[in-house]
Amino acid sequence: MDYGMLPISNAQLTLSLVLILIAGLVSAFLKLGLLKSLVWGTIRAFAQLMLIGYTLAYIFEINRLSVIIPIILLMCLIATIEASKRIDAPGQKLTLLTFSALSASTFLVGIIVVTVIIGPEPWYSARVMIPIFGMILGNSMNAVSLALDRMYSEVRSHAAEVEELLCFGALPWEAIKIPARKAIKAGMTPILNSLMVVGLVSLPGMMTGQILAGADPREAVRYQFVVMVMIAAAVAIGCLIVVGLAYRKMFTPDDLALTEDMRHSH
Amino acid sequence: MPTFFAFHNLTYHIKPQNRFISASGSIQAGKALALRGPSGSGKSTTLRMLARLTSPASGEIIFKDQSWHTIPSTIWRTKIHYLAQMPVMFEGSVLDNLRLPFQLAHNKKELRFHLEDAETLLTATGLAVTILEQDARSLSGGEAARVALIRSILVNPTLLLLDEPTAYLDATAKQKVQALLISWLQQPLERAIIIVSHADDDIEAFPDVQTLEM
Repeated sequence: MDYGMLPISNAQLTLSLVLILIAGLVSAFLKLGLLKSLVWGTIRAFAQLMLIGYTLAYIFEINRLSVIIPIILLMCLIATIEASKRIDAPGQKLTLLTFSALSASTFLVGIIVVTVIIGPEPWYSARVMIPIFGMILGNSMNAVSLALDRMYSEVRSHAAEVEELLCFGALPWEAIKIPARKAIKAGMTPILNSLMVVGLVSLPGMMTGQILAGADPREAVRYQFVVMVMIAAAVAIGCLIVVGLAYRKMFTPDDLALTEDMRHSH
Repeated sequence: MPTFFAFHNLTYHIKPQNRFISASGSIQAGKALALRGPSGSGKSTTLRMLARLTSPASGEIIFKDQSWHTIPSTIWRTKIHYLAQMPVMFEGSVLDNLRLPFQLAHNKKELRFHLEDAETLLTATGLAVTILEQDARSLSGGEAARVALIRSILVNPTLLLLDEPTAYLDATAKQKVQALLISWLQQPLERAIIIVSHADDDIEAFPDVQTLEM
């Protein structure tokens, strides 16, 4: 069987714009007022992808750890900013702890996958490291923001229960145990769901990509499996770290009582 | 004379209204102190400050001649125990709820749960012993309020801070709870109660009760 990548020529690329025209027509026809966003979105997507395409080609060419690590840290930073935006916790400074959770879980699991499981030569091959770390990070980012958001909303809506436990002499971690469990569960649910349905309901993007690029589907599924379990591991670690770091901020430093922000729902 | 429990110029700053609540008072062992005043005068906030659930801007609390700063807040709250007005019931049966405090790390070492004590208290407050098996979240307001009070008494605090303890109770249950609190005070152990209540009979039920106007 012939597994070969079919390249897309410039003409074919231009042709794909026809598809945007369809979306544009729908928008115009239904007066959705989305035309401007659609045009801008298309331009941005094209520019961003071209940029990253050429950048990646360049980085793969250099293939040096001193370049790869800063790039991954930058990715962690961008993921942190994105994750923080999605958390409803006014007055809380969560950037540092989100960054710590994301980078710790990503590096820990990413290094294990790259060195032990995939084992390219050299081990820090940018072609392997950047996509792998990127996939972990994308998923951890979602999980961490879900977990943190849930944690804050749970504690706020159950502040009376947390305080009741404190009144019985509970330490902060004991008082917060139920919300923390719910938060970690909320962060892990998406990956657990995908583990259940992968291959039946959806073919993951990475696997689809490999198949389109000419890989043997039997090889692609092996990669996909590794990717999914590594995501599950990173998500679990990331949620655990972020919840472990965040709960302390919900208590006053001297009296270990719930802070005012946590007692009053916004 | 040694100080059993006293608080001096305990001040709280209500930021949105830029208003201050301030309270001073003291209480002897075996006695009850009632905080009185109109709504919004800071009675509940004072109780919360005494329980160290709300941090005061300034002030001092003395418990058995010791400054509050010398006692860790988690231990403090088991001795100076606050019972919120709205009863809090956790998932599980009433029995699970009564046992819950005994499962906390600090209490495991110091306290033991005795079913007979729980049953005695249930009967004293007019609840059937069979309620132990019931889902705690299905209790009526009056039942939950009594279960919450029993849970607080079972952990054997030294000072009970009660915020409207009879607000959810009918006349019969109310009398029983008042009688229970009075007999709890009269035990040979050193105990005291600070109570916030809009019901005069709650306050007057205690023999030689002191009042603090807020």
